Amino acid sequence: MEKRTFKFLIAFGLTTACAFAQQPPSAVDSQQLPSHVQRLNRVPVNPEILKVKLPHPTEVRLPNGLTILILERHKLPTVSFSLWIKSGALSDPKNMPGLASFTADLLRDGTGKRSTSQIATELDELGATFNAGAGFASNLTNINASGLSDSADKLMDLMSDIVLNPSFPADELERFVRREKTALVQARTNPGFLARERFNRAVYGDFPAAILSTTTDSLQKATPAALKGFHDTYYAPNNAILGIAGDITPLQATALARKYFGKWTNHPVPAAPATIVAGPSAKKIYLVDRPGSVQSNILAGGLSLRRSDPDYIPLEIANRVLGGGSAARLFMNLREEKGYTYGAYSRVSSNIYPGTLVANTEVRNNVTDGSLHELMYELQRLRDQRVPQAELADAKRSIVSSFALSLENPAAVINRWMDVKYYGLPADYWDHYSEQVALVNAETVQRMARKYVNLDRLQIVVVGDAKEVHTAVEKYGAVEMYDAEGKPVAAKPEPASGTK
Amino acid sequence: MKVLLCALLAAVAVQCFAQSKLPKLQLTDTTLDNGLRVIIAPDHTAPVFAVSVTYNTGSRNEKPGHTGFAHLFEHLMYEGSENVGKGEHMLLVQNYGGSMNGSTNNDQTNYFEELPKNQLDMALFLEADRMHALNVNQFNLDNQRNAVQEERRLRVDNQPYGKSGEELEGLAYDAFPYHHSVIGSMDDLNAASIDDVKEFFRIYYAPNNAVLVVTGDVEPANVLAKVKKYFGAISRQPAPPPVDVTEPEHDKERRKTITDALARLPQVSAAYNTPPGNTPDVHALQVLGLVLSSGRSSRFYEHLVHDKQLAINVFAGVQERRGPSLFRVVAVPRPGVKVEDLEKAIYDEIEAIKKDGITQQELDKVRTQFLRAQIQARSSSQGLANRIGTLTVFYNDPNLINTLYDQVSAVTAEQVKQAAIKYLVSKHRAVVITLPAGRGSAAGAPGMR
Repeated sequence: MEKRTFKFLIAFGLTTACAFAQQPPSAVDSQQLPSHVQRLNRVPVNPEILKVKLPHPTEVRLPNGLTILILERHKLPTVSFSLWIKSGALSDPKNMPGLASFTADLLRDGTGKRSTSQIATELDELGATFNAGAGFASNLTNINASGLSDSADKLMDLMSDIVLNPSFPADELERFVRREKTALVQARTNPGFLARERFNRAVYGDFPAAILSTTTDSLQKATPAALKGFHDTYYAPNNAILGIAGDITPLQATALARKYFGKWTNHPVPAAPATIVAGPSAKKIYLVDRPGSVQSNILAGGLSLRRSDPDYIPLEIANRVLGGGSAARLFMNLREEKGYTYGAYSRVSSNIYPGTLVANTEVRNNVTDGSLHELMYELQRLRDQRVPQAELADAKRSIVSSFALSLENPAAVINRWMDVKYYGLPADYWDHYSEQVALVNAETVQRMARKYVNLDRLQIVVVGDAKEVHTAVEKYGAVEMYDAEGKPVAAKPEPASGTK
Repeated sequence: MKVLLCALLAAVAVQCFAQSKLPKLQLTDTTLDNGLRVIIAPDHTAPVFAVSVTYNTGSRNEKPGHTGFAHLFEHLMYEGSENVGKGEHMLLVQNYGGSMNGSTNNDQTNYFEELPKNQLDMALFLEADRMHALNVNQFNLDNQRNAVQEERRLRVDNQPYGKSGEELEGLAYDAFPYHHSVIGSMDDLNAASIDDVKEFFRIYYAPNNAVLVVTGDVEPANVLAKVKKYFGAISRQPAPPPVDVTEPEHDKERRKTITDALARLPQVSAAYNTPPGNTPDVHALQVLGLVLSSGRSSRFYEHLVHDKQLAINVFAGVQERRGPSLFRVVAVPRPGVKVEDLEKAIYDEIEAIKKDGITQQELDKVRTQFLRAQIQARSSSQGLANRIGTLTVFYNDPNLINTLYDQVSAVTAEQVKQAAIKYLVSKHRAVVITLPAGRGSAAGAPGMR
């Protein structure tokens, strides 16, 4: 998704500018608003929270073990298929990071019956979209196809051929390898990527979630046999979930799934890798030198929790207060109060292994110091002070109320139920979600902050022009420096003259 | 940002498929006494509604020395009005489970929010209050000037190829309204004063210069009564001065080569001048854009990325404007490929279309792709409200949400060929070549194969 946005930016330049970066909604308090933000309380609001229930899907299990979830919605004449293979990058061999991703990417490049260009033509003639990927720091392969509902049969026929019978042609793999080598070079021009890469290495160490991209060496070693091996090992109906949503009845959907995925043979699949993460043992500060950078990209955070952890909901609320949206503390402070940035946020990521809680902002070079100071202040404040009642109520209400908006997109609803299966959450998880949110109090939020915002082990990453910002960054501790290639750099740069 | 660009790219319609496949939306279209146009499109499939206020102003209304002003102004609309405190707008919308934003482009500025259906009064009150009496002061102006300058750094100055688009617009347009970028220059942003802000508000932020669209789980009569209650007393203003976007005919190709310290590979970016959006010739060029670069079976992908492996990506399509529009092509060569060789290969593909046209199979395919895109554009209440607002402000016709599809569907293969012959010619072209700084000529990153 991020890749695509980037391409559009490249493609047509800046023709639109927005008031806010796209971020999930969030909350702020009324007692401790930065001095300039002001509540007049004259706007008519409905105090009642709209009760919304996430519709349950129909669940079907095929004899071969494939779990199918179906959500019937007729608003638009479209249908989406979402197949999750419960193995991905965390199952990559140590010497070939990216194998799961190569396998997913090459699925559409040929089957026993169809060449890559036949597949492309058939998809485009259906007006369909198809994508398959196995992102890093995850153990999932996602395969999505969507199109007009009157071509649902043809689309699932094509999708099942792509998923079940890929031929991994050698010449297509060669093309892919060339493209990916270039993509590796291009990725290093993106400051956000450099920041996330360094941060994940800092937090995860030896655990495979430390890796966010493949390597030239790994691409060089990739063979059709290796891809086929990954496919044969992990792509199995008993290791998959199929979600179907949109303009289709459960009866029709089940019949299609039987027809095209019913003969998929099951076999034992190796267990998911161990997901114990030690996490960083001490606070560290990293500076990634990006000469010519006019902003510092800052990340600060640490290890959080698994998706199935009972702390997940209270931690989400704590995050809403801290930086989950443009009404949260980080945004209010760093943008609305100080004018340092276009946006400042925080985010909890969670997975089958412990995820992260991380704050991020991009600021002009000469306020790097001030921004780090405010970030540290807000992290400390969340730990030290109970969240005021009104602020907590806003945070909780925003989370529960936003449920209504998610009902507009059937594919997103089905993905929430697929999450329940994948992460092993209780089957009635979404039925009780609102009640669970309501139970969280200020004491719990503070306990979450003290548990997951660990300032003694905080990992801070700054990507920027070292000669401009090194002096600011080193005020926060001993700096470990890297270049944009990810290699350690020993020398401290000469500060630029005239830099504040 | 992405959403809007996709919608514009997709603004190509096609008939072919039975009309029943694109369900007709029922709209009410009412103009209040003060000139505010109100369009309501109910849909009861989810318990939410969306509001969109599209003002008939954008960077096209800026004067030399004041670039970036329309967008800076957009930021100030969140900084408080008579009955809404600074920042209270976003606190309320987010704390009650909604989402909101605003956006500015060359031809319009819009403000929008989506909320659970029981908060209709909140959304209408918020939009009405800031249309009625925006509260501007020096602190807010300085504060948001900083935010906008950081936005410029984030999206332009700190990104590879960030400045290439700006350079290209400067080359492709002589007429000032489209010659300069939406985000504006740092110097002009620094020069904006409180008086500028007040004047801009008075001229452009009037009910008779705006379109309000409400979509989602609402009853039209109820919405209209509330709209009259909240917006009815806002005074009409004299019509804003007209803008002349007429682009003089260009007599030769314009070219520029720039260096970019943040890029590692070259890029070729070209723009052909075309007629205004929503005209038959532009519809034909939109079909052509899909033939060239929509999906992996498109000509550019299949020939240049896959078969010849000259490019790592190529995109083509109409950048639709109310006035003279652009047909854009952007491509990055594979390492080891000279940017000039890629540029030539792109032109060869265009020449092939001018010579032999497109096939019926291609036409059928892009019609289906377009049908799908039109349907998908209705998937969220907010996206739909924004799209109707744009069509109304741009072309004075909200019903284009239903009929654009039919119009573009009428495009024939011959019309596509003729449009290419007429508009995709070198004298109508502007080209910006971006080279990575310090990496010599156009051969890509050294040592990379």
